Amino acid sequence: MPKEIVSSCKPPLTARERKISHLLRFFEDLIKVPLFGCQKCGECILSSTGFVCCQRCPKRLRNGPCGGTGQDGSCEVYPERKCVWYRIYFRSSRLRRLSLLYKLNKIHNWNLEGTSAWLNVFKKRIDAPVGLVRNDKQKVKEQIADDL
Amino acid sequence: MTFKEKIDAGQFVWCGEIGPPQSCDGDVIRNKAKYFKGFVDAVNITDNQTAIVRLSSIASARILLDEGVEPIIQVTCRDRNRLAIQSDLLGAAALGITNVLCLTGDYQTFGDNPEARGVFDLDSIQLVAAVAQMNSGFLLSGTEMKKAPEFVIGAAANPFAEPFEMRLIRLYKKIKAGAHFLQTQPVFDLELFSRWMERAVAMGLHEKTAILAGVMPVRSARALLHMKEHVPGVKISDEYIDRMQQASDPKEEGVKMAVEIIEAVRKIPGVRGIHLMPVMWESITPTIIQETRLT
Repeated sequence: MPKEIVSSCKPPLTARERKISHLLRFFEDLIKVPLFGCQKCGECILSSTGFVCCQRCPKRLRNGPCGGTGQDGSCEVYPERKCVWYRIYFRSSRLRRLSLLYKLNKIHNWNLEGTSAWLNVFKKRIDAPVGLVRNDKQKVKEQIADDL
Repeated sequence: MTFKEKIDAGQFVWCGEIGPPQSCDGDVIRNKAKYFKGFVDAVNITDNQTAIVRLSSIASARILLDEGVEPIIQVTCRDRNRLAIQSDLLGAAALGITNVLCLTGDYQTFGDNPEARGVFDLDSIQLVAAVAQMNSGFLLSGTEMKKAPEFVIGAAANPFAEPFEMRLIRLYKKIKAGAHFLQTQPVFDLELFSRWMERAVAMGLHEKTAILAGVMPVRSARALLHMKEHVPGVKISDEYIDRMQQASDPKEEGVKMAVEIIEAVRKIPGVRGIHLMPVMWESITPTIIQETRLT
């Protein structure tokens, strides 16, 4: 069987779930929009990206910056902005959560766009947020040794 | 020996690059092919580079095959979603194309259709993983194919953009996703490039993949300055700009510089090949490669 590289659409959201999602979204937006500039992708990976929303990237990259980050960390599309992945790297570094950046994030499931990530975690459609990370440096070493 | 055999055998490889025309004139590709035939192992065919509409990379690749030059098709995520990418790749495999370079793609506002909708359904790392999955006989949906393609998977790496550490994480992720070879952005800063290679070697990444250093011959100081100011993510040492500005024959100086950079990167441990990018100056390839062989 193939590796799981696509975030699966199964099971699809039922009409009832969509209603619940709509309600939850209200509270989720109250927190995530002002604090993180949430783009409502429904497949939240904030906890593994140093609590900076990676979906604010114009290319909506989920696995790191494109090759266009400027020497001052500016975005190539909107030079007045900082590249979100530049911010993610330095925030993760400060929070000692760099080991989380080594994970391959799955191909986005567009059916989840606009739905409540909280509901999707509860329904096990997406991975649960990562809590406290201990021994970050050690974890990076272990991960590299495991994979290669 | 094919490109794949050379990569597998751990030999030093040479790549070139051809940009297809902004028209349906296939002869442009045939003419440019002459400059690479017998000099390099494979030639990249860009996929609407800098978001400008050009002749399709797969069609150009087939023309190159007919000319006896092995192509590497670039596939970007800007213009196609997962359905179109998979279908195009199956088509490419059916046409005898075996080398794929997976890229995210330049943002559409840089090109000639800035009003276009950018797709970015996948990113380059996910695309590498998707092609690896196709190689193993499965489509992204999980459907098993009766015949699996045998792509040599490539990806790009940019050692020169910030943040430096994140570039190594990206390299690592691309290798983890299944990249067989990596081509870097053009080297115009040897110090930074060797520092990056040193780290990659320390992580053991050079053993899992073939890293090809990008080298771009330039014709004038203006070209260098333009890149420095307008192309994001490139880093150019002032030393090279000064040299080009002071040269009495900038073209000759450009060739000399390219040969020097090639000689220098070849000596860096872990570098497994050269990716020559003579953008709009394909005719210089034979000269550069012959001079490199002389020294």
